[in-house]
Amino acid sequence: MDIPDDLPMIDYLHEYKNLTGSRLGCGQGICHACVVIVDNPDGTSEEVRTCITGAHYFEGKKVRTIEAHAKRDESGQVTELNPIQQRFVDEFAFQCSYCAPGFVNAATVLVEKLQRQPIAKSKLEQVIEDSLGHHVCRCTGYVRYYNATRNVLTDLGLVKEG
Amino acid sequence: MKHLLTRLTLAVGLAAPLLSAHADDQVKRGEYLARAADCMACHTAPGGAPFAGGLPIVSPFGTIYGTNITPSKEHGIGQYSDDEFFAALTEGKRRDGANLYPAMPYTSYHLMPREDSDAIHAYLKTIEPIERAAPVTSLSFPFNVRPGLIGWNMLYGKALKLESGEGKSEAWKRGQYMVEVLGHCGECHTPRGLPGAMQLDKRLTGGILNGYLAPSLLATDLAARGWNQQDLSTFLKHGMSAQGTMFNEMFPVFHNSTQGLNDQDLAAMATFLLGDKPPAAKELTEVSLDKLSPSAQRGRQEYLNVCAGCHAAGGEGKPHIAVAMRGNTTLRLEDPRNLVRVIEDGIGEQKFAGFEHMQPMPGFADKLKPEQLTDLLNYLRQGWGGQSAELAVSDVQKLQADAPAVEHKAH
Repeated sequence: MDIPDDLPMIDYLHEYKNLTGSRLGCGQGICHACVVIVDNPDGTSEEVRTCITGAHYFEGKKVRTIEAHAKRDESGQVTELNPIQQRFVDEFAFQCSYCAPGFVNAATVLVEKLQRQPIAKSKLEQVIEDSLGHHVCRCTGYVRYYNATRNVLTDLGLVKEG
Repeated sequence: MKHLLTRLTLAVGLAAPLLSAHADDQVKRGEYLARAADCMACHTAPGGAPFAGGLPIVSPFGTIYGTNITPSKEHGIGQYSDDEFFAALTEGKRRDGANLYPAMPYTSYHLMPREDSDAIHAYLKTIEPIERAAPVTSLSFPFNVRPGLIGWNMLYGKALKLESGEGKSEAWKRGQYMVEVLGHCGECHTPRGLPGAMQLDKRLTGGILNGYLAPSLLATDLAARGWNQQDLSTFLKHGMSAQGTMFNEMFPVFHNSTQGLNDQDLAAMATFLLGDKPPAAKELTEVSLDKLSPSAQRGRQEYLNVCAGCHAAGGEGKPHIAVAMRGNTTLRLEDPRNLVRVIEDGIGEQKFAGFEHMQPMPGFADKLKPEQLTDLLNYLRQGWGGQSAELAVSDVQKLQADAPAVEHKAH
């Protein structure tokens, strides 16, 4: 596909792929509502901000957007949310949801990191802060996001005693 | 007799407020001088009480900790007399007679007049004493043998001499004192030789500090990077100018020192650095894309991919977000070291006076392959830095390998 040299990835997702789940918030890389997940060849995954990163940066890279997480039926309808999404819904982690795609992607990256290397319970609070702390939410004050993330990590067996 | 007594009483009554006014003036002057001498930079730990010490200063000889210089009698300098304070400031002598490590810039302060030392001491006596010991510096052998500094001091302690002010303006002379003595700018902006002493024959030609270049401050070099006197004093006052913002080691210098100096002194510093007859600031000529090297042309796409979101596609920057690349002083440095380091390390959020700030810049150390970084550097330097020299991948890899081992996050 031929796209402009200076097209930001968020515009590519919205305008060229009709993937509108990633949110354009601040447009300056601060709020992280726009992050997608990039799967690295070494098996790790990371968040990348699409509002300040050009679409061409992603050429040849495997990218997951918020639309990738839930299970869908043949018609494309969502049949089952992934455990993080479900937990965020169950625990009312968000209200307006503008920040939710970013938080879900950040928590997904964290889950994948801990799947490779589980963490001691004593470090859980810090690792959640380090992984999600840069995301901005103006509704719920972060406590519900924090609690839901802690609970889903524990339920998934990613937290060791200690 | 009664008449005489009345006059005496009157005289004593007048003398007390006069003395007190003098003391107040001395303390105020001392506060200003301490700011100009940037005592805070080394004697305050991040988030710590002012002047209570504890800042680790990484040197090739080990880590030296800034000491507590509050008036605490036990942990600070509360027992220092004016004489002892002057000896510490200008000779690197501690009250107990031991030698201070030359991380304390007595190699510059030794040119400070006694009255300025006394004023700084008077001011430091008025601040809150912090009853807390700063971490003890313990260097490995042989650098832990403080008497070993006796010979060093004889050779280098007072080696710095001021240039003659003959035929120079008053601003130039004041600027020399502000830059060379109080500001001790040369301590970082001068290369150091093997024994860790400034190479005074290369004074202010630039030095290396924690993997970054403290650039040359010679007038011709400043002018070649686009500096004029007005921009230079604006840069010192506000931490930013058309040429970019203060970052890395200069950011705390701006915060603790230069932003609090008066306009006259800042102008004097710029006058001294650029000279009474400053060379003309070199103007940048626009270089079109097709005139750039193939590497630089490829670099444009790297720029659009990872830089343009904040620095704007045309390199004009965005107010309160990211500085302009076009004409940026770091791009205009012949030595690409700082540009490599800042792209790799990123810069933390920067707060300036009032509501002014710049957003944090992420580091790209693990995002760009050496080839991509080289292309990007060539684009930035050739397109907006007025540099015609082409960097090879091997040049960039050499600079990458020269990064400090300690994790470093620029301000």
